[in-house]
Amino acid sequence: MKMEDMPLSGPDNTKLEALVHDIYSELVEDACLGLCFEVHRAVKQGYFFLDETDQESMKEFEIVDQPGVDIFGQVYNQWKNKECECPNCKRLIAASRFAPHLEKCLGMGRNSSRIANRRLASNNNNSKSESDQEDNDDLNDNDWSYGNQNSPRRSKSLKHKNGQTLFLCCFKYNYNTGISYESLGPDEVRSLLTTQCGVISEHTKKMCTRSQRCPQHTDEQRRAVRVFLLGPSAPSLPDADPVVESDSFDIPEGQTLMNHPQWEDSPDISPTDSASSKASTNHSDSRKLKKKKRMTLNLNSGVGAAAAAVVGGGGGIGGVGCLASGSSTSGGSSQSSISLPSKKKRPKLSAASISSTYHDLN
Amino acid sequence: MSKDSQMRAAINQKLIEMGERERLKELLRAKLVECGWKDQLKAHCKDVIREKGLEHVTVEDLVTEVTPKGRALVPDSVKKELLTRIRAFLAQHATL
Repeated sequence: MKMEDMPLSGPDNTKLEALVHDIYSELVEDACLGLCFEVHRAVKQGYFFLDETDQESMKEFEIVDQPGVDIFGQVYNQWKNKECECPNCKRLIAASRFAPHLEKCLGMGRNSSRIANRRLASNNNNSKSESDQEDNDDLNDNDWSYGNQNSPRRSKSLKHKNGQTLFLCCFKYNYNTGISYESLGPDEVRSLLTTQCGVISEHTKKMCTRSQRCPQHTDEQRRAVRVFLLGPSAPSLPDADPVVESDSFDIPEGQTLMNHPQWEDSPDISPTDSASSKASTNHSDSRKLKKKKRMTLNLNSGVGAAAAAVVGGGGGIGGVGCLASGSSTSGGSSQSSISLPSKKKRPKLSAASISSTYHDLN
Repeated sequence: MSKDSQMRAAINQKLIEMGERERLKELLRAKLVECGWKDQLKAHCKDVIREKGLEHVTVEDLVTEVTPKGRALVPDSVKKELLTRIRAFLAQHATL
């Protein structure tokens, strides 16, 4: 709709202003009227004075308008300067830091286990600061696998072997690193040395508990340790030597061969299976490597795993032991038949046992 | 004068048609609640009611008592803003 032209000149301007004010007044009156209707309805319906009925509670919840206090009358920084005594360590801790301190102090809560593991790792690092080539992560891996008392697999594997449970428990494993050879008898030492690396560390005087093929120590070192511990007539390493003096090996040795890798492996499984969040970042990479390395060995429990074990572990004694143990899980009777011939020449034997395992699988 | 009144009527009509009047009304109400004008006026209503007696209050009573006070209590900032908006509307649409 077309309107007349309205230039904003003098008299018209005032008219316009008046118009504007009129519109404004109308709007305000509308608002007032709206309020009146609202109030009138509340009065007639009886709910207008509802909030004023209870004088007592009105006084109780009156709005407070004092400095330093909020409108409810509470002091807002009341706990700022308070200190609390920790029930555990009896120290005075600031109130705002109390909860995190308790978490660490009592060893409960989400981060406390992580921190504790990290602290253990750093302690080990400090104590092994002069290690030859020792990878501290691997050492910690050792701690984890051998010292983990809670792993369900470990107890299971111990229960499986009746005769060997006692033998295993005889190992005096420290929680920290390896075995102190001084506390073991000669037989134990010999059996240990046939299954483990056994190289004595310079500064802790303990034997390395890793396998015969542990990358931290050379064969020379292992031979030297054996000579040192068992005398010059000590049997040479069962590893990599085609000519083996089989007389010195006893039957239990073959059984420990089978036994030990399995036992060695299973705790390895448990840390990876159980809450992986427990593993500190130091460990995880090395454990992954270990896992790959022993992946073949870890699959002992499955029937198809023996084949994988054959593929992976052929040649070394770990492989042979694994094969034997693999077959032992699949068929008990074949166990003895494989272990006895295993005492003779190793490479030929591995082929023979491989074929026998295949027969077993089929 | 008829021109004037004609013009006024036209403008009012335009305000309503375009929904601007509703918008302005809502804006005013929100601003008044925000600044506490509504609570002030309600308290005044309570006094009036207590004065007149709860049972005999009528709408006219309230209106006559409340409106002048309400008009006076509107804060200046709210008033200025509304006037600006109305002027802007007129400037935009009055010359069409």
